Amino acid sequence: MANNRGQTAIIGIGEVPTGRHRDQGAISFALESALMAIADAGLDKNEIDFVIPTGSLFSSQFSNELATCRLVEELGLKNVTSNCEVFSGGSSSTNALRVASALIETGRARSILFVHTDKLGTGLSAQGGIDLFSTAGISMEWEVPYGQHYSTVAALATERYKFETGTTDEQLSAVCVSNRKWAELNPNAFFRTPLTIEEVMASKMLSTPLRAKQSNMLFDGGAAYVVTSAERARDLSEKPVYVLGEGGLVTHFAYHQEPDLTRFGWAQAGRQAFEDAGITPADIDVAEIYDSYPIYQLIAFEEIGLCGRGEAGALHMSGATAPGGTIPTTTDGGMLSKGHIGAGGSVSLLVEAARQIMGKAGPRQVPDCRFAVETAVGGTYMDAQVTILGSEIP
Amino acid sequence: MTQNDVRSTKPVPVVAPWARPFWDAAHEGRLILQHCEDCDRVIHYPRMACPHCSSTNLGWQPASGRGTIYSFTVVQSNAPSAFAGDVPYVVAVIRLEEGVQMLSNIVECNNDDLVCDQPVQVVFERLDDEFNLPKFRPVR
Repeated sequence: MANNRGQTAIIGIGEVPTGRHRDQGAISFALESALMAIADAGLDKNEIDFVIPTGSLFSSQFSNELATCRLVEELGLKNVTSNCEVFSGGSSSTNALRVASALIETGRARSILFVHTDKLGTGLSAQGGIDLFSTAGISMEWEVPYGQHYSTVAALATERYKFETGTTDEQLSAVCVSNRKWAELNPNAFFRTPLTIEEVMASKMLSTPLRAKQSNMLFDGGAAYVVTSAERARDLSEKPVYVLGEGGLVTHFAYHQEPDLTRFGWAQAGRQAFEDAGITPADIDVAEIYDSYPIYQLIAFEEIGLCGRGEAGALHMSGATAPGGTIPTTTDGGMLSKGHIGAGGSVSLLVEAARQIMGKAGPRQVPDCRFAVETAVGGTYMDAQVTILGSEIP
Repeated sequence: MTQNDVRSTKPVPVVAPWARPFWDAAHEGRLILQHCEDCDRVIHYPRMACPHCSSTNLGWQPASGRGTIYSFTVVQSNAPSAFAGDVPYVVAVIRLEEGVQMLSNIVECNNDDLVCDQPVQVVFERLDDEFNLPKFRPVR
C-alpha cells in the first residue's frame, strides 16, 4: 500500500458550542461552523471545490437537504465539482477525512470542506432519543426484538471487560471525571462543573453496570474542517496539521456478532495508523479517544498501544489523562462532558486534535503538541478508525 | 399506554427470506442453526451465502440449545418505549455450544446471581401468533 504520509493537511476548523439551541435550526450550526473553518483556513471560499456533508440523524428531511447541495447554495460556493455525503455514523469524521485525503492525493479535488451538524438535543424528546438509538445501527431481526439499545450495548462490553480485566466501577467512573476536567476548560462543552467519582457512582443505574453519568447525553451542535494538499497548506498556514497515518477495521454490524467485546478491531487499526505515520504510541502528545461511554475510551486507549491490557482504568484514576497529566486524553471533554451530537462526537474529537496541533486550544492547550491520535467508531462499535495528525512529517 | 398505541407494541423480527426456517422452527419450539454444506461451518445469524466461503449450498441442523453467557446486562431504566414495562429485564450475548453467538434475554433467573460464562439453555417465549423468541435460562 502506498504511503501517503503528510500529503494532505487540515488547515481550518470551525465549531459551535454544544448545547440546547431551541431557537436555532441545524442549518445555522452548519453554516456558522463552515464559515469559521473557511476563515480559519485563510482560503477564498471559491477555492473550495468539493463539499462533504455528513448525515444528520434528527431529521431525514434535513439530512436530504445536506445531500442535495443546500450548503453549497447557502454558502455561495461557485466552483464546487461535487457535493457528496460521507456517512458512517460516529466514524463519519475519519471516513470523510480518508475520502478527502484520497481525492486530494489523486488530484480529483484541491480544497475540501467537511461539515457536520445535528440537533439531537432539541430536535428529539429524551425518550425519542432512546428509541432512535434502539433501532439505529441495531439489527431489526436479531436484536431489536430483545430490547437492545445503546445502554445495553455499552453495558455488555463493560460487564465482560470488568470480568476479564478486573477493572472496577470506580476506574470506569474516573474516565468521566478526567474528561470533565478537560470540559471545564472548554467553552464549547455543555457540562463544565466539577464532577467526582462518588457523584458518578451515585447516579441512576441504567443497565448494569452502566450508570447515568457514565452515559453520554444528546445535544445540538456542529463543526467543520477544511482539507487541502500539503503544498497548498504550506502557502496558507504557518502550522498545517498534516494527516500522517490512518488505519481502520470493520468488525460487525450486529453487536452480538463481535467475537471480542473487550477488544474490537483497535489493535489492527492502530498498528496500521502508526506504521503509516512512522511514529509509535510513545510519541503521542495528545490522544482524542472516542468516549460515548467510558468502556470504549478504556478499550481503544489500550488496544492502540497507549498502555497495556487492563491498565487504562488505573491510568485514568491516576490523573495521567487529565489536564497536567502525562498523556492528555479526550481534551475537548468528549461525548461524556462536551456532549454527544450524533456523528459529531468524533468530528469534535478530530477538530480538537487539529486544534491542539495548531496550538489554538486556549487554556487546555497541551504544550509542544506535535503528534495527536484520534479514534472514531460508528454504529454499535462496528468499526475501529484511527487517525494520526502532526505538525511535522516524520 | 393502550394496546393500540403503536409504541407499546413489541417489535417483531423483520425476517430475511433465508432466515424463515429459523423462525418457523422457533414457532414449533425448536432451535436450529444454518450450516454450510461445503465448508462444514455452523452459521448464525442465517445468511444468504456462507460468510466463510460464500457458498449458497446451505442447510439446517438442530442446535443443542445449550450455551454460556458471554456477557449480560440487567436493564433497570431508560429502556426503549416498547420495553419500558419489562424492566428489569436481562439482555445477553449467548455463546452456543456450536460456536456461534446470538443476542437474547435471560429469563427464569435471579438477576443478581448472573455471571459471565454461566451455562444456560434455550426456552421459547411467545411474542405473537407468528413468533416465538428463543430465550435462555440458567442451567439448574
